[in-house]
Amino acid sequence: MSILSVQNLDVLFNTDDGIITAVENVSFEIKEGEVLGLVGESGSGKSVTAKSLMQLNPSNTIYGEKSSILLKNDAEELDVLSMKSAKDLVVVRGGSISMIFQEPMASFAPAITIGNQMVEQLLIHTSLSKRESSELSVEMLERVGINEPGKRFFQYAFELSGGMRQRAMIAMALSTKPKVLIADEPTTALDVTIQAQVLDLMKDLVSEFGMAILFITHDLGVIAQVADRVSVMYLGRIVESGPVREVLNTPAHPYTKGLLNALPKLDALDDPLTPIPGDIPSPLERPSGCVFHTRCPEAIADRCDASIPSQTEFAHRHTASCFAIENVSEAT
Amino acid sequence: MTQTPLVHIENLSVEFPLGRKLLGKPPMLMAVNDVSMDIMPGQFYGLVGESGSGKTTLGLAILRAVPISSGKILFDDSEVSYDISNISQIDLKNYRKLAQLIFQDPYAALSPRMTVRDIIAEPLEVMGLTQNREETDEKVREIAAKCRLNLEHLRRFPHAFSGGQRQRISIARTLVCNPNFVVADESVAALDVSIQADILNLLQSLQDELGLTFMFISHDLSVVAHICDHVAVMYLGTLVESAPTRKLFDNPSHPYTKALLSAIPSLDPDDSGKAQKLEGEIPSPVNPPSGCRFHTRCPLAEDRCRNEVPLWRELSEGHSVACHFTQ
Repeated sequence: MSILSVQNLDVLFNTDDGIITAVENVSFEIKEGEVLGLVGESGSGKSVTAKSLMQLNPSNTIYGEKSSILLKNDAEELDVLSMKSAKDLVVVRGGSISMIFQEPMASFAPAITIGNQMVEQLLIHTSLSKRESSELSVEMLERVGINEPGKRFFQYAFELSGGMRQRAMIAMALSTKPKVLIADEPTTALDVTIQAQVLDLMKDLVSEFGMAILFITHDLGVIAQVADRVSVMYLGRIVESGPVREVLNTPAHPYTKGLLNALPKLDALDDPLTPIPGDIPSPLERPSGCVFHTRCPEAIADRCDASIPSQTEFAHRHTASCFAIENVSEAT
Repeated sequence: MTQTPLVHIENLSVEFPLGRKLLGKPPMLMAVNDVSMDIMPGQFYGLVGESGSGKTTLGLAILRAVPISSGKILFDDSEVSYDISNISQIDLKNYRKLAQLIFQDPYAALSPRMTVRDIIAEPLEVMGLTQNREETDEKVREIAAKCRLNLEHLRRFPHAFSGGQRQRISIARTLVCNPNFVVADESVAALDVSIQADILNLLQSLQDELGLTFMFISHDLSVVAHICDHVAVMYLGTLVESAPTRKLFDNPSHPYTKALLSAIPSLDPDDSGKAQKLEGEIPSPVNPPSGCRFHTRCPLAEDRCRNEVPLWRELSEGHSVACHFTQ
């Protein structure tokens, strides 16, 4: 049963240059204990999608009328987008949904100790006393593999190394026992050897805590290692989604294929790198029809630039929106 | 066959003082420690390592952009040779025309107040390489075409360009004074995957066309594996292994190189590469471990590693390693 269900999410920004579409018609569900990977390049709308789950986008954001974000919180079902005030949203923000950010130095307050920050959120979201909160925080720091948790509890973010800060961030995010954890590029700022440690830790924690994870990254290798299912985003739309093995081994959408071909691979050093032609269009000049048609090698004239392809399920739970695939499944 | 290396580095060390002390010497940060290497003409020389390994400092030392504490750097193309560690101000100016740098972040490296034409022309004007505006314009157009920028692009300001295009502008500016040695410091790290491949292909074709020698600094092993023909691995200021790309990736010898390779997340979900994960984190360069600097994280470490600095040994032609255990 899915904990989080996002349907037809549209996110628009009202800017001085006009209304910009950041996310268009995005739908996905995540089950308990499942990791959904969201891959895409910069400007693809993956972070905006994640922030919408807690309404963390700036005040000029307009959510679509048909959009809905439903979250199961024990017995009740929360409709996130219908919540208007910050007071209502407390249940969601840091309560049923926690978030790990990309740059751990920027997400900890520099002048408050790690311990005080962890205790503060526990006091808001749980009924624990101050003392119980401190004990739980130290326990969580130990659980994520931080040496001398009792000492780290009284330290500031700048006294910790990058890998350690990210571990502390994870400890803090999990201490409120959220139903959904959003990890927004949690290992991008880390070195590869530290990244490997943090990814292992996250995999262990999913099986232990059993929450649903939305894992955002631009790195397909990281997705292969942590996610169960993956959705590929391009310019605000999900172009392909499916189980991680199927999507990476038999990609269907030309964009997913292009991404995989552009990636340098260690086991095929002689293969030339094939870039995706052209640049990512500016959000102000959003292409009509299929958003990828301007760079797509398989684009069909008068079709791909005129109408938007629908999501086609061509294999079990593996969907893609592309006219080339629609044709194949119609023929068979 | 003995070819003279374009850049010859011998026992190079770079230290930075940490703050100032009233009495006595302040503590020193050893950014690069006793590094020796040869870069051959026409080579695509890769330098990999994690943050804090000293790879950027080494690149800057070759360009004489940081002071050299001890050791020697010799630059020798067929026409001129310079002793970089002991160079006069006038020679340094001439050297700058031959050795250039491409920066990491194309958003920070370009002045927002200058047009693309002015950005690319600036090195020519500063170095006095052209006599008049017509000559400058011609050179700018020539290099811009090689970097796939058209005339229309030259009139615009950097804000109108995407990351990939900006990096092409940055490359054009680096190459306009016709250098023969270029240090590319994390030049694709800020770019998206689909654009990154494009820039890598461009660098490779420019090297063929202009006969350049590259030092390519990166933390991304798969990028280095694709573009470089020789790779050196750094850890905490020291070289741990250096080999032709194929040899290094097929037969890594240093435990750190092995760990780095297995830490790259595999695209195959069934291959979790758990075997070689490193414990702990890179120690501080202010107070580096004794003996082999890697011993605090090394799965093979013994007492000998803690006390004795491993020698830099050649295993086979072009393949050298600093470890007590490799045969």
